[in-house]
Formats: sequence, C-alpha cells, structure tokens
Amino acid sequence: MPALEFHEVNKTYRTGGTDIVALDHANLTVDDDEIVALLGPSGSGKTTLLSIAGGLLTPTNGAVHVGGNDITSYSAKELTQFRARSVGFVFQTVNLVPFLTARENLLVVARITGLPSKTAARRADTLLKELGLDHRAQNLPTQLSGGERQRVAIGRALMNEPELVLFDEPTSALDTSLGEQVMELIRKEVKGRETASVIVTHDTRMTAHADRTIHIVDGRLDAGAAQPA
Amino acid sequence: MWLALREIARSKGRFALLGGAIGLLVFLNLFQQALLNGLVTDFIGAVENQNSPVLVFSEQARKNVEGSFLSQDQADAIAAVEGVADTALIGQNTFTVLAGGDDADAVLFGYELGGLGEPTALVEGTLPQGANLAVATEADADAGFGIGDEITILADGGPVITVVGLASESRWAVTPTLFVSYETFEAAQLAVNPGSEVVLPSLVAVQPDDGTDLDALTDAIDASVPGTEALTNQEAIDGNPAVVNTSQSFNIILTLGFVVVLVVVAFFFLILTVQKARPLTLLRAVGAPRAFLVRNLVIQIVLVMAAGIAAGLVLTFLAVVTAPVGDVAISVRPSTAISTVLTLFVLALIAGIASIRRVLRIDPIDATVDAA
Repeated sequence: MPALEFHEVNKTYRTGGTDIVALDHANLTVDDDEIVALLGPSGSGKTTLLSIAGGLLTPTNGAVHVGGNDITSYSAKELTQFRARSVGFVFQTVNLVPFLTARENLLVVARITGLPSKTAARRADTLLKELGLDHRAQNLPTQLSGGERQRVAIGRALMNEPELVLFDEPTSALDTSLGEQVMELIRKEVKGRETASVIVTHDTRMTAHADRTIHIVDGRLDAGAAQPA
Repeated sequence: MWLALREIARSKGRFALLGGAIGLLVFLNLFQQALLNGLVTDFIGAVENQNSPVLVFSEQARKNVEGSFLSQDQADAIAAVEGVADTALIGQNTFTVLAGGDDADAVLFGYELGGLGEPTALVEGTLPQGANLAVATEADADAGFGIGDEITILADGGPVITVVGLASESRWAVTPTLFVSYETFEAAQLAVNPGSEVVLPSLVAVQPDDGTDLDALTDAIDASVPGTEALTNQEAIDGNPAVVNTSQSFNIILTLGFVVVLVVVAFFFLILTVQKARPLTLLRAVGAPRAFLVRNLVIQIVLVMAAGIAAGLVLTFLAVVTAPVGDVAISVRPSTAISTVLTLFVLALIAGIASIRRVLRIDPIDATVDAA
C-alpha cells in the first residue's frame, strides 16, 4: 500500500477577489519506503503540497490518502491526532522549542501522543545516538550549531515512528557540505526505518539522495508523479 | 505539567519576578485586611463581644451608639413586644479618667450585672460582681487598666473603679473600655453632669424568646415602639458609622489591589504567549491539541499564583507577628485569608483568558511560514 497518494488534488486560495491556484490537479504516489524529492522554484506549490500531505492544510478538492486512510474527510481534531501519530515534520525554520533541551524536544512528541515515558526515553536516547547527538542531549537549542539543530529536528520527526516524514527545505539554512551530511543522515534514518518521505527542495544537488525526483511548477506536478519508482 | 515545569525551570528569573510581585501584592492586600479587621474590632469589639443578640437604638442615632438615648417608656414598650423574653438597659459614654497616674479617655459600658450586655471574651480575672468593679480590655492592661488597677472618673464625686477582669477584643472606638454595672455608669454620668436629674440608657439589650426569628423581632420592635431602631448584633456592627466609613475606604484600596493583580498576571502571560508564539505554533503543527497548550498555560498560572500567594501569606504572618501598628491588634482571620486566596486564583484565571484566546487562535500552518 502506498504511504501517500494524491488524486486530482487542487488547492485554491482566494486573495483580494482573485483565485490563486497553488495546486492544480496534483496526482502523486509515494511508496511506503520511498524517498521523493519535490523540486520546484519558489511559489510553485511545494510547501502547499507538503502541508496538505501532513494535514496542516485541507485541499479545495481531490483525495489524499496516507497509509490508506483518506485524510480529506478528517475533522480538525482528527487531523491534529493524525499529525501527532502518523506524520513527522521537519520545517524550514521553526523546528525546536527553545526552552527544551535536545532530548526534551524529542520527548515532547511522546508527551503529545501519550507514549509511556520509559519507551519514550529509550526511543529518544536511541535516536540521539544514531544522529550523533548523545553528547548534546542536555543542551538547549541556542547551545547547538545549525547542523545539530537540524539533526535534533530529524530526531523529533522520527520520534512518533511515523508512516510518512515530510521535510521542507531541510538544508536551506546550511552550507553545502553540512547540507550533504544532513541529507545523508535523512536517507540513512528514513531508509533504516522503511519510512516514506517527501523532501521539498529547490537545490538540485540534494536530489541525489532521493529515490525519485518530481518537479512542480505553478502547482502542476510531473506527468509521471503518480507512478511510484 | 511536564512542559509547564520545564519552561518555568528554564525561565526562573521572569517567573520568580512575577511570583515575587504577586507575593508582595498578596501581602499588601492581606495586611490591609488584617489592619482593617484590627481597626474594626477596636471600633466595635465591645458590642461584638457581648451577649445580647438584639440591641435597640434610638432611631435618630442612625446606628451610632454615642448618639443613642432611649426613654424609660420606650424601654418598657420594648419589653412588652411579643417575642421579647428579657430586656436590660445599657449605658455608654466616654469619660476622662485617671489611669496609671495619667489622664486618659475611657469608654464605660454600663450593663445590668449577670444579664444582657455582659462581656463574653473574658480572658483573665472575673466579671464585676458589684458597683465600682470593671472588666477592662486586655490591650490596655499595661496602660493602667490591668487587674487591680484603680481608675478614677475625673469629676467631683466621680466613682473609683477597680479592674477585676480583662476581656480580649472588646474595645470601643479604639479607646480603653470598662464594662461596669449600670449603677456605676449612672454614678459616672451624674458626676460629670451634676445638673442631670436622670440618666438615660443608650441602648436596650433584648433577649428573644426561644425560636423567635431575629429579623422578625427587630421588625416588630421597630413597628411597635416609635422612635427606635432594633438591630441584631451583626447589624449593629456592620452599620456602625465608623466601621462603614473605614470599611469603604479600605475596600477601595483592596479592590485596586485585586485589579492590579488581574492586570499584572494578564499582561505577563499575554506577553509570554506572544513571545513564544513560534514554538507554540510548532507544537500545534506536530500534533499538540489546543487543550494540551492551554492546560500548560493554566498550570503555569496556577503554579505562579500558588508560589506568590504562599510568599504573601508568609510575609503577612511575619508582619502581623512582628510589626504591631500602634496599639491596634491586627489579625488575619482564616476566612478572610481563604476568601482572598480563592478570589486571587479566580482573578488569575480570568487574567489568563487573553492568553488562552491567543493560544486557541494559533494556526499550525504558520509553522511552514518563514518568520524571517
């Protein structure tokens, strides 16, 4: 079963009496262990697609299935639960709670989902070790470098063992070398868990780490996007 | 709780400042209430701590004991009202006395020994058993009003009164007070007013029949005896002009104190919520329900208020124990402290509404927006 399916998804914003089409009949399938890079210029609809896939936005019409479930029929409360239990997010800028340590930024996900504290602690410690951050577990975000902060965000996104991980420009704030390292880490962690992921980027160099690259321009995806690799 | 405690732990300074501010405001509020209680008790303790459940004033006195004079006919008419089991005369006046070698003012409450108007807060010695004996107020024992001390009414032929007992919280008008026999009171009155032919009682104390409703009885006395105003003991206390004026002044200050708490808490948490809007948005985006964030906010409000109130209570206790205000016996009544604490908690939660509304308005989609 595909981890993510978009079927004829449209998203239209109405601004100042004008309809702006952010997604135009988008069809997309992502297999359950596939890494898809979504490449497009600024304003092409990348983040809108990611937001709809993650239950942050609802489409104007069309169907979105995650793990076989049609999330377009979910209420706001169900979408909140869906985000907590089924999706992992790494956002472009806002990723960590400043008054929580690196370890607590992972544990807060468990607090939201109600994961038993011992299981949560074990999972957080394992993730921090895999991400090479076990020695930084008790540091606050302000005490971490940009790369370390992004690694903590990856750990947080994986903390709830999601079916789908969504990355919005995960390397945009990093230099090329650090960006490469983060992308390698993403691939290793996602593939190691056989989890599907969509990585939004405008940097073509980062697409080498994906199984498949899909282009998006003016809200329209490549014609073959609905066919998994 | 987990998230709330961690934020407090990482921002000790700002939360400590708020807790400290709340503590000082609580202290200010409770200390003022303690002072008010002390003043009120010193104003009307003599009426509050006597055994008559109903007191009849002259109507023109408007609840002022000093201005109340009743005739013997009125006293007889009161005794005849249905529901009245017993009555007794009470005389009250302020005299210049010689006490402890110095001139001083003292209030005499004359009552019929063994009957109504007798002091109920005796803490030492005995009640007067005859003429020229008195129960004085404990607070003035060291000022020449102690047991065995003799107090002379400064007038030709003024009686010399010996203190045989002490009562707590039984002053009148913040003045040393002596409970004496009605005959002693009459003798004192006649000494200072030698031309008087008769001494009028200030009040008539009333003991109702068993099971008689006090409000109905006071209404009946008012209706049956022209020119009188019958009051329950509590009504006489609450309606005392000095108590009314003092309470009104203090209540304005106390209300302002509560308003300041409301504003301080509201602004603090609103500013805090605005400052951490981004992490709150992130938490909503990764699946935190609104209730999760609101709960943490409310927990923080409750914890800060609890710490501030605890600090305020300790400060108040220390101040009441160590810092007497003149010779006014200030005290915090447990009921006052409890109602103040509950009011502050309710006000704090009301103050949190603006912050809660802010949290409820957070849209998780904003996590995808670059704040820079």
